[in-house]
Amino acid sequence: MANDIVLETEALSKHWGGIKALNDISLQFHDRQLHGVVGPNGAGKSTLLNMLCGSLKPTSGCIFHKGERIDTLKPWKFVRRGIGRSFQKTNIYPEATCIENCAISAQRRFGGNFNLFVSRHSNKLVRKAAEQALAQVGLESRSDTVAAEISYGEQRQLEIAMVLATDPCILLLDEPMAGMGHEESQRIIELLKELKQTYCIVLVEHDMDAIFELSDQLTVLDNGRHLITGTVDEVRNDPRVKEAYLGAEEDDAEEEAA
Amino acid sequence: MIFEKRTERILVPMFFMVALFLPLFLESNSFFVGKVTTIIILSIFVMSLDFLVGRVGLITLGHALFYGLGGYLFVILAPEYEAVNFWIYTFYICGISALIALITGAVVLRTTGIYFIMITLAISQMMFYYFFDSLEFGGDDGVFIFMKPETSIFGLSFLNLDDPQHFYYLTLFSLFNTLVFFKVVLRSRFGRIVEATKQNPDRTEALGYNIFIFRLACYVIGSTLGAYAGFLFALQYGFVNPSFLAWEMSGTALVMSILGGLGTIYGAILGTFTYEGLQYLFEHLTEEWLLFMGSAIILMVIVLRKGIAGYLEKLLEK
Repeated sequence: MANDIVLETEALSKHWGGIKALNDISLQFHDRQLHGVVGPNGAGKSTLLNMLCGSLKPTSGCIFHKGERIDTLKPWKFVRRGIGRSFQKTNIYPEATCIENCAISAQRRFGGNFNLFVSRHSNKLVRKAAEQALAQVGLESRSDTVAAEISYGEQRQLEIAMVLATDPCILLLDEPMAGMGHEESQRIIELLKELKQTYCIVLVEHDMDAIFELSDQLTVLDNGRHLITGTVDEVRNDPRVKEAYLGAEEDDAEEEAA
Repeated sequence: MIFEKRTERILVPMFFMVALFLPLFLESNSFFVGKVTTIIILSIFVMSLDFLVGRVGLITLGHALFYGLGGYLFVILAPEYEAVNFWIYTFYICGISALIALITGAVVLRTTGIYFIMITLAISQMMFYYFFDSLEFGGDDGVFIFMKPETSIFGLSFLNLDDPQHFYYLTLFSLFNTLVFFKVVLRSRFGRIVEATKQNPDRTEALGYNIFIFRLACYVIGSTLGAYAGFLFALQYGFVNPSFLAWEMSGTALVMSILGGLGTIYGAILGTFTYEGLQYLFEHLTEEWLLFMGSAIILMVIVLRKGIAGYLEKLLEK
């Protein structure tokens, strides 16, 4: 368990002027585990994810991938190391078909990205990888539908399929269940259960039931600070978490009672 | 099939069939052969701009820089009183233009949006004033090209550039190749990423692509073809002057491309012919042709939201 750390942050901070969006975060993410990240709005969850995928540079601190420092690399190099992310707001190619969306993500690793003359459809490997990614999330039937025309829930699934098509080893998922109905959420939960057998997943999610059900490790952030990391039970029973998360509610209740 | 839309499959063969036989019905030295040649050359230029603006998403106001370079590079490189080989000089001019595009592109592509528009404009204006004030290149009068290149390949010559009809077919051939080239490139795996970058640059970067390199490659391709068009234009009229690379040239080309249907590639031909046709018409009808020209363009842009190509597609595509 100790040696399979694939991603690690050391004293990671992000400051916007005087505002400390994230302060002194040291975390370890393990292979084949789902690491949940929760916290109230503005806790710094998305900031953390944006730094882990390279799109945001930390103010201070480092990120290590398999022991190598990566926070200084260009964002697109993160993906080449196998760090893939999905976005909180659906971020797909709306005018392209679902299969084409996945083909765009899959194509990079097969080369020929600067091949100007051969038709894009002639490469079987890209096609196969894209089909496989769609199948993984259960969207095979939507293959030739334009992405803008599928349902919102399906778009969220497509979003994950696009990350899978990049052949990552680490998945950074930013609220994959945001805005989904119960049934759709359930499908994503089943999918994530399956995926965590093979990938390291960092999951930011507001749906508490889902995150309690899925997480092997759970980190709670509050106001940019790292509150606690532990198993679901450890976190649940921690008094500090109750204070940060539920405390406000209890106070309200007490006030109301009084 | 590189022409995916029905509209293209109808219009493109139709245009080239008409264009192919047009000179046979006109006298070789007639004004119209020359006029249509010019419009065809402009179409190549507009098409290269349409690729950059409509397909790559690089809204440049400095494309005329390369149009002018195509002409000036020939004057700079070729000896004054000696007929050089057309193919070799095409290669030189395109090569050097590509290199210049690579260098300027590496600078301008660090910016996006309005800053990109401004910096491309600034660079082309810099070159404009350089040639405008230069003594060795005739300043604002420009330079004459006394000797047209010869076109032999391994000693065989079948094209005479002094013959307007031959020159006409050379430009038509170039336009056809440009169209096919862009279509092939956009259909390729490279084209897939270019398309993705235009639609959603952030996501494309998040998928591991260095979008800067893709944009730069496109900038070089578009600029090189723009320079080739400028070279042809200089050869047709036998001179180059700074108006080739004035910003009005970039602006007019942009209007033509929008009129034709931005990003449709073949629409560039429609846009250029319509614009030039209207201008010819109004010029002959009235002194105040600019007023009518402007009104016509405003009207067309309002009525045809996606250009002429967009309108035709709405009619023919189903």
